Amino acid sequence: MNINATLIAQAVVMIVFVAICWRYIYPPILSVMKEREKRITDGLEAAKKADDSLEEAKLAFDKELIQAKAEAAEILDKANARASQIVSDASSKAEAEAEKILTSASTTIENETNKAKEELRQQMSDIIIDTTQKILGDEISKEKHEEILKKAAEEL
Amino acid sequence: MASELTTESYISHHLTNLTCGKTPDGWTCDPYKVDQMGFWAFHVDSLFWSIGLGALFVFVFRKAISKNSDASVAPSGLQNFVEMSIEFVEDNVQSLFGSVKNTLIAPLALTVFVWILLMNLMDLVPVDFLPVLAGHIAYAMAGDAVEWIKGPESLYFKVVPTTDPNITLGMAFGIFILTIYYSITVKGLKAFIAELTLHPFGKYMIPINFVLEMVNFIAKPISLGLRLFGNLYAGEMIFILIALMLFFSSIPIGVLGFGLHLVWALFHILIVALQAFIFMALTIAYLAMAHETEEH
Repeated sequence: MNINATLIAQAVVMIVFVAICWRYIYPPILSVMKEREKRITDGLEAAKKADDSLEEAKLAFDKELIQAKAEAAEILDKANARASQIVSDASSKAEAEAEKILTSASTTIENETNKAKEELRQQMSDIIIDTTQKILGDEISKEKHEEILKKAAEEL
Repeated sequence: MASELTTESYISHHLTNLTCGKTPDGWTCDPYKVDQMGFWAFHVDSLFWSIGLGALFVFVFRKAISKNSDASVAPSGLQNFVEMSIEFVEDNVQSLFGSVKNTLIAPLALTVFVWILLMNLMDLVPVDFLPVLAGHIAYAMAGDAVEWIKGPESLYFKVVPTTDPNITLGMAFGIFILTIYYSITVKGLKAFIAELTLHPFGKYMIPINFVLEMVNFIAKPISLGLRLFGNLYAGEMIFILIALMLFFSSIPIGVLGFGLHLVWALFHILIVALQAFIFMALTIAYLAMAHETEEH
């Protein structure tokens, strides 16, 4: 356990190893580490940016969606209103038509009735005259009693 | 061998380095001639493990670079481990060194930390395993050709480099040199000398100031080296003593020894990592002080 030249030898060996580490080991490893660190920082930053833009896109999407929904609701309302309008128009038109048909039908019926009545009256008066003529002979002529016949026809 | 083995010889065998040096008869690694070698002797085992583990550090980290130098690919496995240790060192340098720009500090701290951690971790290898293995290998290879190898046990082989004060003080010495270098280049020689001589008593007491500051200045690297050495040496010593319980006593004590070995190894993992960290942190701190222009 004497102190001897080993001490000097060890000091020299140490200088050699430190020099090797200084020149050939430390700088390359450190530079790779620094570069990787930078890459990781950049990557994280990019990821954060992407995250932010995703968030933005989501917000925009939500906004669009809400707007689209509102538009759709509006269109639907309009369509509904339009449809009910059409339906009510159609029904009122149909009602009017029905009324008209009904009216015209009743008019026709009335006319026909009147016509039939007239005819019947005519025929009846003819029959009556005929019959009366036959009974009374020629005392009663159509021409002579025009006035009376007409009156009677009107009364019938 | 077993008949000659005593508690004392077992311990001293584990605490003696394989020392090679120059004797009057020429270069030898004979443990009985260590006294004749003087200062110019080398602890071959400490240096072997120190260089080997340093090379392992360089190899592993270089491999991590070649494996994945593309920043766009996620790191995996070894790369993660390497980057984790670099990040750990960067954090420490950042907190202790602040804004001062010096590209050497972080690589220095990384080398010191990983290297010392690896050297300390050798302490967790069972105490007898590698020395006995090395002894047998040396005996098988050298045989009778080397005069001082008389058997596997005649080769001393200490495995943990940080239990050798030469290794820890050697590293502290290297850091001390760097401290002086940066003190002079950053502050300027004049400011550096002023720092050593004009405190704490002002300019009329320069000799006393110098002595006081010098003690302060030199105590730093010495405490740095001895702290690491002391902690690991004590840890190693306890492993050796626990190992003695297994071999030199009754079976119940041996079983207790197994349990103690496990407990101490678990606890020692903490010391191993902690001492490596402390050495690194103090290295950074001392170099940071060398960069501080405005002190006191």
